[in-house]
This record gives sequence, structure tokens and C-alpha cells, in this order.
Amino acid sequence: MKTTVAMSLTALAPGTSRMFAAGSDRLRIGLSGCGGRGTGAVKDCINSSRGVELVAMGDLFEDRVANSLKDLRKDVPKNVKVTRDTCFAGFDAYEKVIASDIDLVILATPPHFRPMQLKAAIEAGKHVFMEKPVGVDPVGIRSVIASSALARQKGLAIVAGTQRHHQAHYIEILKRIHDDHVGRIVGGQIYWNGGKMLGYWPWYEREPGMSDMQWQCRNWPWFTWLSGDHIVEQHVHNIDVMNWAIGAHPVQCLGMGGRQVRKLGNIFDHFAVEFEYPDGVRVMSMCRQMEGCTNNVSERVAGTKGRSYTDSSIGYIEGPNAYRYDGPNPNPYVQEHADLIAGIRKGEPLNEGKRVAESTMAAIMGRMSAYTGRALKWDWAMNASKLDLKPPKYEFGDLPDPPVAVPGKTMLI
Amino acid sequence: MKAEPTQKRKELSRRTFLRSSGAAGMAAVLSGTGRLFAAGSEKIRVGLIGCGGRGTYDTTNCLNSAENVELVAMGDLFKDRLGRCLGMLRERLPDKVSVTEDTCFEGWDAYKKVVACDNVDLVILTEPPYFRPGHLKAAVEAGKHVFMEKPVAVDPVGVRSVIASSELADQKKLTIVAGTQSRRMAHLVEGMKRIHNGDIGEILAGQCVRMGGGMLTWSQATKQRHPGWSDMEWQLRRWLFLTWLSGDFIVEMHVHNLDRMNWALDAHPVQCIGLGGRQARTGPEYGNIYDHIAVEYEYPDGVRIGYMGAQIDKATVRQDARVVGTKGRAYAHEGDFIIEGAKPFRYDGPSPSPVIKQHADQIAAIRAGERLNEGKRIAESTMTCIMGRMSAYTGRALKWDWAMNASELDLSPAEHEFGDLPMRPVATPGETRLI
Repeated sequence: MKTTVAMSLTALAPGTSRMFAAGSDRLRIGLSGCGGRGTGAVKDCINSSRGVELVAMGDLFEDRVANSLKDLRKDVPKNVKVTRDTCFAGFDAYEKVIASDIDLVILATPPHFRPMQLKAAIEAGKHVFMEKPVGVDPVGIRSVIASSALARQKGLAIVAGTQRHHQAHYIEILKRIHDDHVGRIVGGQIYWNGGKMLGYWPWYEREPGMSDMQWQCRNWPWFTWLSGDHIVEQHVHNIDVMNWAIGAHPVQCLGMGGRQVRKLGNIFDHFAVEFEYPDGVRVMSMCRQMEGCTNNVSERVAGTKGRSYTDSSIGYIEGPNAYRYDGPNPNPYVQEHADLIAGIRKGEPLNEGKRVAESTMAAIMGRMSAYTGRALKWDWAMNASKLDLKPPKYEFGDLPDPPVAVPGKTMLI
Repeated sequence: MKAEPTQKRKELSRRTFLRSSGAAGMAAVLSGTGRLFAAGSEKIRVGLIGCGGRGTYDTTNCLNSAENVELVAMGDLFKDRLGRCLGMLRERLPDKVSVTEDTCFEGWDAYKKVVACDNVDLVILTEPPYFRPGHLKAAVEAGKHVFMEKPVAVDPVGVRSVIASSELADQKKLTIVAGTQSRRMAHLVEGMKRIHNGDIGEILAGQCVRMGGGMLTWSQATKQRHPGWSDMEWQLRRWLFLTWLSGDFIVEMHVHNLDRMNWALDAHPVQCIGLGGRQARTGPEYGNIYDHIAVEYEYPDGVRIGYMGAQIDKATVRQDARVVGTKGRAYAHEGDFIIEGAKPFRYDGPSPSPVIKQHADQIAAIRAGERLNEGKRIAESTMTCIMGRMSAYTGRALKWDWAMNASELDLSPAEHEFGDLPMRPVATPGETRLI
């Protein structure tokens, strides 16, 4: 039965990757972006389902490929089938990974590169697991949405690393929110208030012979053009949950922020944004990366009948429909791959592309508002903004340090 | 209409008599209680402490708000400010200004001299907010009615003093009115009444936003430090931009907006978490205050209000407040009040000047011997702002009870004298200590 359906789909969509008849099939994967997250995502993918093999790897930097490979050979040796010929370095490494004999590619490079790599992967007929966020500017987001639509036409799966969507307590709480257990949503709060990240995110001092481009790419989290800033890179998770709860993206926002402590790169260290959703529902977002402050990474939804609270480990509802999730909570970083692969094997590919693009866009819009000091409409940002953070050339050469944004001075583009 | 000194003395002795007989035991217990006014339109004599733009403005409004109100004494730290203010008031209201050289005081103890004037019934306190607690205390202890500008303190120690002085004022039957004129704006009064009547149901959420310009042209004449100015003088001249003097913009200016939220919710917050910084207004002439602060205030029953404030040029300008309830939403803008929902409402009545009314109400209350004391309320609204600033400066979530009762934050300089005073550094969250 499945074969016929799959057959007809394949016939309609040229370049579509092969379909899987049964759960025992091999699934050959490639990795683009061999840092900590990429390496972790490969392990999670391999551990999530049977028959997963890593056959190609690529990164901007050779040493990262080597380190990642060493780590993977230690942890999941049986599933690593990478050879010297399928290890690639440089700005075009991703093209070579995608051109390899793979079914699925994991995109875990710095967010700046996601749109172009997603496009290449979908055009080449590969299923995609991509890390969040999926862009750093509106131009990139529009590309991701186009690629996601193409993936749908081609029957390709896209799962994005917003693992809360694959986490049991989130799924149960959100189901109840959608079943009216907190009533009509009238407000909410989302936070990612945490530490300074130095020590977790890499920081490389500039060495002799290192080009500007090399130095910035090594230090990607600290540069807006590469990471999108921490509101995009990290807080996108919480924004994504609020979009999920409300069932919509914001229609406008007003943000503020700055860097009061941080000295590295050009990103801010704090943001506060008021997101307005349809029907005038306003949500307050706060994110901060500073040491010695009160931390809180969570989401809270206020409805006419009650309130929900969720964070990475618990979820509950207060009010007449009080509830607390106490069931099993399988590792969501593994579960997202299990769901992705199950969908591919069943011929029912998941496609989270547009959803995560919209969550990323909400975060980008918040950043744009904070950087410029200007209130923004979604429709303008999504359709009219020309902000494109691409450097003039992708090559290891000169690239002046980008300035830190100053609200009222930084232009809204 | 200038009263002769002898006439004043006669009136005073008559009132002393009235007080000891009519006002019974209270007056005997509480020495220095303000004189009682027999009826309608007896002269009320005003002393002004703090002769800047706001002091001149408030005094003008006060003298115009009722018949037979006269300015009799003035004090300021700086002679030039005294002179300019007196000149303007004499020009505007020649019949209502009877200040003499002997009742014009300058320097650190000018306020003491104003409140020591026997013939002053009411003092207007409009010096930088840092000084308010001390001046209020002196005024109330001396038995004067008080009109004081917002905010009324810059730290918890000051807020506690203001609350104690307000309680003393009640005991002494003195009135205190605070310059939060929103409370007398007709559209807000009518709208808040409806919120309190339950027209929007139970309150669940709200927002309070004030984003405006950078105040960069404030006091152009003091932007450049004059060679002869000590640190202290320079900071006093630029008081708006020094946290110890103004409380920062969230306290100095946005107390109006947050006062409205406390009014709508009929409560003060129980806790808050704030963040902020200084990203655009970074020049040394802008002291050490922030240019943006956002605070989540949690009120009783878990109701959270999002506050956003900024003073940044060429950014979006926005000022509004909104409260969301189970049955509707209320929008309180500067000149408009709208309720959407089950019981829609839009104020379209008259809007008499609230800045005149606040003085008229006070003078009427003084003359009628009625209680009118806004001290505690404005102290709590000021504390709401101070708590938000403390949280933004330190990066730490704060409880009201701790801030109000246990915080030892006291921004007073070591000495009140013109001399060296290094500017305190701009706050750094995670490093600035929570005191």
C-alpha cells in the first residue's frame, strides 16, 4: 500500500529522496556544522532509531571536523561510516555533504548559514534536521519559508531543533491550553534569563595570521550576523512556545535592550520585548545573559480561566482545570530525531520549517526593534524589510568588526 | 493684598486660641500642629522650597488655584535659582507674592529656614527628589501642610521616612498632596471607578509603557561643567541624570505611569524582576542613570504587569497603560480612557486642569479642616519604581516586603556640602550589590 502511494509521490516530485519501505532500512545521514551541537545532534539521531549511519561531514574548519569525528568514533563507533573522502572543510563543505550519498542532512552550522544550506539540501532532495534558529534576518527567513514549501512539494521532512515540541510535558500542557483549560489567552510572559555564556560558547583570541572572517566565524555566537544575537539564538525556544500556545505569531512588537556588562563581539546582553499577538494579546519577553543575576528560563500563559507554567523540566496548570504533568519524559533531543525518522519511514514526513521560521522571525523582529528603538509590525518585517546580514564575500579575508547597535541611531532596514 | 506683620500676629494668636479651645486635646499633645482655619477664604501663606522650573510652575498654579493664597517665603540651594524664580513669580502674580529679602533663603539649610517661618501654612517641596524625605519630615514636624512633587524619595530608607512623616501628618491633622496629577484627571478618575466596579471583570494582566526622548536638551546651561563648580555643585546642577538625586528616570518621571497601575489594581506589587542599561545616552553630562528599563511587576494573585520605559532620542515614542480583565480591557492614555468588552466606555466629559485642581483641593481641605493625605500612597508608588530600578541595576528579582522593610539602600552622600564627590559608577547588573 505504502509503495504505491510513495511511488506516485516520487513520480510527481523529481529529486525527492528515496522512500523507506520498512523500519529496518538504513538511513544515511550527513552532518554540516561539526561543533558541539552538530556532534550532539548526530549522536541523538543515531540513538533515536535503528539503522542510522553517518556517512559525510563538513565544517568551515578542518579541526572541527576532526574533533567531531574523533568524538563520534568514540561514542557511536558502529554507526560512523565516514571516510577521508566524505569529510569536507571550507565554505563549500555543505555542498559536498549534500552531494554525498545521504538521505538526511543535519544542519548545525551557525544560524547565519541555515537558509542557504537548507535551500541546497531541499533542492538536492534531502530530508533535513536543522538546529534552531533558522535565520538571522528577514531575507534569510523568507528563504527558509520558500525552502519549506518546496520540501512539502517534494515530500521531504524538516524537523527543527526546537525540542520542546517533542517533549512530553510540553505536549500535554499545550494540548490542554488548546483544549481551553486556561480559557481565552489574555497575556503571558517568556524568559531566558541566564548566565553570560562565556565558557559554554567558545571564545578565541585573535591569533597572528587569523583573518577577520576566520576570527568572527570561530567566535560566531558573539556576532549578530552569525548567531542573530542571543534573543534569536537562545530565546527563540521560549518565543516558539508562546507562538505554539497562542497558535499564531506576533503581529507587532516593541523592544529594548543593550549591553551593560558584555564586551565580546557585538551582541547585546539583555533584551525586553513586548510582543503583541492577534486580538491585542500582549506577551512580555525578557532575555539576559549575565552572571550573578536572577535566572529564569520559562513560559507562562495567562488565560481567563487559569494559568500555565512550563520550563525545561516541569509543566503545570493553575485554576479550575489544575493539572501537573508527572508522566515519563523521554529525552526530547533524542525524541525529535525519532519523530523525524519515524515520519520519513512512514512516508508522512514532518515539516516544521515554516513554524520555526516564524518563531525565528519573531525573535529577529524583537532584536530589530531593540537595536533600532523602533516599534515594528510583523507584516513589514516579514515582507518589506531588506535587512540582510551577509558579508560581501564568503572567504577568509578582511571583515571589519561590526559595531554594537545603538537604539535611535542604528537604522531600521 | 499684603497683610501687615502686626495683623499676621493677631491672626496667629487668635488661631492659637481657637486651636487650644476648639481643637481640644490633640493640639495640646501635638505641638507644632498647623493652624486651623475658621472658614472659607482665610489667607493661606505658602513657602516654596526648590525654586527650579517645577517649583515656579507649582507655585504659580497654587497661587492661582484659590482666592487669598500668598507666597511669603522661598528657599533653594542656589541664589541664582532663587532670583530667577522670584523674578518670574513677581512678574506673573505681583499681588500674590510678598516674599522679602528676609524670607528668601539659600544654601543647604534654606529649607529649615522656610519651614521655621511662623507665618507659613503650606510648603511646596520641589527640590530634587533625593531631598524630599528630609524636607517633608522637617515641614511636618514644624506643623506645615505640604504639597510635594513626585517622586518622594530615591531609596527605601527615604520611602520609610516619607511614610513615617505621612503618619505624623495625620496625627497633626496636616494635609499632604503629592504632584501625581493623574489622580485628578477626570477621565482617569471615571475610568478607574469602572475598573474598581468590576466592569472589566477580574484583572489578569496589564502593560505600562513610556518610551520617550532622551532629555538631551534638559538644562543646556549646565551641560558644560563650569570651572568653579565643585563635584557636588555639578551633580546638583545636573540632578536629573544622577541616581542619588533623581532616582533615575523610572522613579523621577515614570512614577506617574506606575502610580496609575497601582491605582488600577488598587495595590502595590509584591515582587518584580527588571533589566535595563544605558545604550544611547552615554555621555558624562548624562551622569549615571540608565536610558532603558523593563520590569515585570507581579501584583497580588499572580497578576503580572509589564513595564517598559526608555529615554532615547529618535526611537518610537509611546505612552500608554492597559489593564486586561476577564470581561474586557481598559486603556488609560494621557487624554483618553477606553473600556472594551462587556461594558464599553469612553470618557467624553470635561477635563479640568488637574494641576490646578490638586492645589485647589488641598487649599479647600485645609480651610475645611478635612483630612487629605496622599503621603503613603505616593510613597508606595515611588517605592514601586525604586524597586524596579534596584532590580534592573542588580539583575536580581526582588520582593516588596524585603525592599520596603529590610533594604538598607541609602543614597545619601557622606556630607551635604559643596566639595569633592566622585560620581558613582553606572550600575552593572550582577556586580552592583543589592543592599
